Amino acid sequence: MSQESKGGHNSSHHHHKLEIPPSRWLMLGVIAVILMAISIWIGQLSYAWLPPQASAESLLVDNLFSFLVTLGTFIFLGVTGTVMYSVFFQQAGKYDYSDGPPVEGNVTLEIIWTAIPILLVFWIAGYSYQIYIDMGIQTNMGLGHLHLPIKMESAMAATTANTPEAVEKIEVEAKQWAWVFKYPNSKVSSTELHLPEGKRIRLALTSDDVLHGFYIPAFRIKQDIIPAHPLDVEFTPIRTGKYRLRDSQFSGTYFATMQANVIVESLEDYQKWLHSAATLTPTPATNQAATEYEQETNKNKPFQAGWPSVAPASPPVVNYHD
Amino acid sequence: MSSIITTEHLQRPITLEHHHDEEANSMFGFVVFLLSESVIFLSFFIGYFVYKTTAINWLPPGVSGLEIKDPAINTVILVSSSGVIYVAEKFLERKNLLGFRVFLVATMAMGTYFLVGQGIEWSHLEFGFTSGVFGGMFYLLTGFHGLHVASGILLQGIMLMRSFIPGNYDRGHFGINATSLFWHFVDVIWIILFILLYLWQ
Amino acid sequence: MTEIHIETVVNQHSHHKKGAAWKQYFSFSTDHKVIGIQYLVTSFFFFLIGGIFAMVIRGELITPEADLVERTFFNGMFTMHATVMLFLWTFPSLLGLANYLVPLMIGARDMAFPRLNAAAFWMVPVVGTLIMASFFLPSGSAQAGWWSYPPVSLQNPSGFWLNGQTVWILAVAISGVSSIMGAVNFVTTIVKMRAPGMTFFRMPAFVWTVFAAQIIQLFGLPALTAGAVMLLFDVTLGTSFFDPAKGGDAVLFQHFFWFYSHPAVYVIILPVFGIFSELFPVYARKPLFGYKVVAVSSLIITAVSAFVWVHHMYASGTAAWMRLVFMLTTMCVSVPTGIKVFAWVATIWGGKLRLNTPMLFALGALIMFVFSGITGIMLSAVPVDIHVNNTYFVVGHFHYVLFGTVTMGIYAALYHWFPKMTGRMYYEGLGKLHFWLTFIGTNLNFFPMHPLGLQGMLRRVASYDPEFTNWNVVASVGSFLLGMSTLPFIFNMVSSWIQGPKAPANPWRAIGLEWLVPSPPPHENFEEIPVVISEPYGYGRNEPLIATPGQAAESHSTEVASPAQ
Ligand code: HEA
Ligand code: HEA
Ligand code: CUA
Ligand SMILES: [Cu+2]
Repeated sequence: MSQESKGGHNSSHHHHKLEIPPSRWLMLGVIAVILMAISIWIGQLSYAWLPPQASAESLLVDNLFSFLVTLGTFIFLGVTGTVMYSVFFQQAGKYDYSDGPPVEGNVTLEIIWTAIPILLVFWIAGYSYQIYIDMGIQTNMGLGHLHLPIKMESAMAATTANTPEAVEKIEVEAKQWAWVFKYPNSKVSSTELHLPEGKRIRLALTSDDVLHGFYIPAFRIKQDIIPAHPLDVEFTPIRTGKYRLRDSQFSGTYFATMQANVIVESLEDYQKWLHSAATLTPTPATNQAATEYEQETNKNKPFQAGWPSVAPASPPVVNYHD
Repeated sequence: MSSIITTEHLQRPITLEHHHDEEANSMFGFVVFLLSESVIFLSFFIGYFVYKTTAINWLPPGVSGLEIKDPAINTVILVSSSGVIYVAEKFLERKNLLGFRVFLVATMAMGTYFLVGQGIEWSHLEFGFTSGVFGGMFYLLTGFHGLHVASGILLQGIMLMRSFIPGNYDRGHFGINATSLFWHFVDVIWIILFILLYLWQ
Repeated sequence: MTEIHIETVVNQHSHHKKGAAWKQYFSFSTDHKVIGIQYLVTSFFFFLIGGIFAMVIRGELITPEADLVERTFFNGMFTMHATVMLFLWTFPSLLGLANYLVPLMIGARDMAFPRLNAAAFWMVPVVGTLIMASFFLPSGSAQAGWWSYPPVSLQNPSGFWLNGQTVWILAVAISGVSSIMGAVNFVTTIVKMRAPGMTFFRMPAFVWTVFAAQIIQLFGLPALTAGAVMLLFDVTLGTSFFDPAKGGDAVLFQHFFWFYSHPAVYVIILPVFGIFSELFPVYARKPLFGYKVVAVSSLIITAVSAFVWVHHMYASGTAAWMRLVFMLTTMCVSVPTGIKVFAWVATIWGGKLRLNTPMLFALGALIMFVFSGITGIMLSAVPVDIHVNNTYFVVGHFHYVLFGTVTMGIYAALYHWFPKMTGRMYYEGLGKLHFWLTFIGTNLNFFPMHPLGLQGMLRRVASYDPEFTNWNVVASVGSFLLGMSTLPFIFNMVSSWIQGPKAPANPWRAIGLEWLVPSPPPHENFEEIPVVISEPYGYGRNEPLIATPGQAAESHSTEVASPAQ
């Protein structure tokens, strides 16, 4: 080895290159096409991984997600496929102690694989930006009250005439650990969120105590609720049915129980419900957190540490509860 | 054999240079530390800025602002003490121990004056640590800075004591250089603090 | 003839005492190698503890109801699980590797400040003890998640100021002080203590990544410290910095927290990138492809990492411009990261691969990383994140990276440098068993979290809707398998250390200063400080790495190799 190193090392180590013969190019092309086909297929499958598309926003988000899955699959399969090829076909023999070709780098390749991610990043960011704008997410809040000089016109707001009456305003009150929905125009309060189909909804989110999060998976909508800092969130339900609202920002002991039903119904049904609810006298709703807290002394967990918990707020008193 | 390195290259005068290396390393490490430390202050400053520009009730009820005269005098004293410790350093370099000690003690006295002045100001304020975000920020910033002034004085005290150990400076001046640098750092921070707290009202 | 020289160096060191060597690991040793192993063993101990907490979490989540532990305890479990895993497993174990390797790799006898080094280490057990002690307080441990977002973290049902949350803040603060001490030490060591000829562009990539990671600690940790100090005053003295009820700003804390805790994930991942860059060349017998670019890309990641933190706060009520700007900066991280990934693939490509345990772990970790990076890019897209934020999709993303990449990467490093550290060979068969159990367990455990999150299952819940049951059962079973997978590892390490076959200086025929000294290296590492005369990773080049007086050159020695079994 020392003999080799004496004469050889000065001249031999710079000029190794990755030579790719034309037949290889063809094969690479074929592989790329196959990968692309698989990626597009999986991208299409990815719609099924998400909850039902119950809001106008969900259509937009799902398109973006599917795009990212397609691209991600391509990158993932490309990288792991290459590695796997090496793993299967380029192992050293049991007694082969020689080294591989001393390739140190390749400027062209390195430029390509820097440039492509940069382009991809701008593509992904640009597309995400477009979707974000189309969703018309409310931004009348936030630290640092700077707005980009772009008009946030929403696709949905454009189709459903963007007049004040077209927007249904509902107040959402979050507390440890209950949701209360108030319909200011009809003086109705409820622990179940009823929404008219096809109408733009604007919710005013407030919290009585800690951070909470307003999240309806079927709507792809999520917004933290910050005490002493009211925020709005807007969306358009487009599919009747029963969905789930969950608290998405950790809010203490009974966080997981802080859920509510969301009923999307036709405008008539919605109005009917409002009228009938208005006739009900307010009573305390059942509240899982409060119930569990009461039973804390006679619970039957296999393991008990007896750590104290913040007491739940008293169950909300509302016209309508389920 | 293309890459023979002659033995001259290799025989570093390790024994002699060892201490000097160590000093240079320590100073380098100390500067790195101070850079990191300054980010804590920077974070507090940013917090102050955010509160001041966004808080709805910035000043606690009944408080109209901060008195500026005494803090200004304090500021002058503290900032000029940076020059005094610099002179002390110079004396040490010329091996004038007496001059060094006199100026070091002067620095300590000025720092102590500042701290006492700060204490007097605190005791006369009509708001406390828990009086809203303004009260919190005010005491947090001045308190955290005051802690640094106190540490600086402590370091100077140690340097003063050490100067009485015979042969203390044979191994270099890292201790006093670092103490002095720390003191300048504390002063610069105070200038920013003074602007934020007192001038920007 | 060149070998002879090395042998003499080796033998000159055999005078170093062997007796009762284990005792030094319990002492305030200032030898970076002892401290490195202290870090590794301590952190692995805490890994098991954090893992047991995870077993409790998965045990609770195997059924939809909250029926195993109380909800308060469950909340304590995930809070402590994350705290232990991050502050007592990943940080210290990577510091351990860095401690052991950096001085050896740059040709130094020790770190720049050996006593500071030891002091920094001994704070780790203190942090661990504090954290564990909080379980025995009447309040229980901290329960607000590892972010400790106020106002939940300010709520104090026990009514006593000394509660789990206070102890948590204190422990994190001490851990921060320890990390700053470590960072100052590493930066100074790497800048000031390199052997003659060891220019920046001759440093092994691992050293580059440690350098880049420790710079992050220096600018990031102070921000967390500032936030933690203010939180501490809010909890104990009743100030109102973060309490909206008293005019404070709860979201400001989130900025302080993530300004550090986002970059912190790069503190964790960068050394693992370094491990990849060290291992692939050895086991593919090829130079690291594009070494200089790979080296510099670490610093680019460091720089970009300071400007992406708001991607954890898209749903926190941040303004639209913030969401969009930080979306772009976040995605930008994929550029320097991609450079590295492609460089590793090109390093492996066309090599002479040897799939022993370290290589298997490194390859597995690389694949898991690409997967997690892609889910990371999905998260960085604001509209998608708004849907999956705080769901199990996020939990899946970061376990693929924190377990699949970081923990598996650490395993790779432990196997690779085990012969160097202990002077013994580990058992390859057990190692491979460990790999397969881990690889399968990781995917069973963490893959199901992605569909769960997409369907809307939130994180930090002790109970969930029955529709999520199936995937949760798979995840829990996977997690138990993952728990079991540590057993062959522990058995392998302990028995090999005690009675494994003796390891030669360079069992892997690797190129690097650490492989030129005996296994384990003598107290001061190098008899004579080496003079470095070429770039690292000279595989296939037969080029000497160092020059030694009276001797022309020494390089990796192809004949020495005894194929390690
Ligand atoms: C070591 C840990 C680590 C690492 C390396 C990363 C890497 C990344 N992470 Fe992750 N992340 C975490 C640990 C980590 N993360 C943790 C712990 C959390 C949650 C904390 C908590 O909430 O408790 C989190 C959460 C988290 C969020 C917040 C989600 C939420 O709460 O809603 C986001 C959002 O943007 C994100 C994004 C990213 C991105 C873009 C990267 C990128 O760095 C990834 C870059 C890599 C690649 C992209 C793959 C390789 C590149 C190529 C092959 C090139 C070509 C590719 C493209 C052009 C796309 N992460
Ligand atoms: C490096 C970091 C790291 C690592 C390694 C892990 C490892 C694991 N983590 Fe996680 N985890 C986090 C960091 C990490 N985690 C963070 C930051 C959070 C967020 C917390 C928050 O929201 O605040 C989190 C949260 C988190 C959750 C979500 C909790 C919730 O939101 O409610 C879950 C749920 O499954 C989970 C599971 C696991 C599992 C099963 C492992 C496994 O890999 C563990 C493997 C197990 C072992 C190594 C144990 C070995 C045990 C033995 C040898 C004893 C033998 C016992 C048996 C076999 C039963 N972790
Ligand atoms: Cu870098 Cu875009
Ligand atoms: Cu992040």
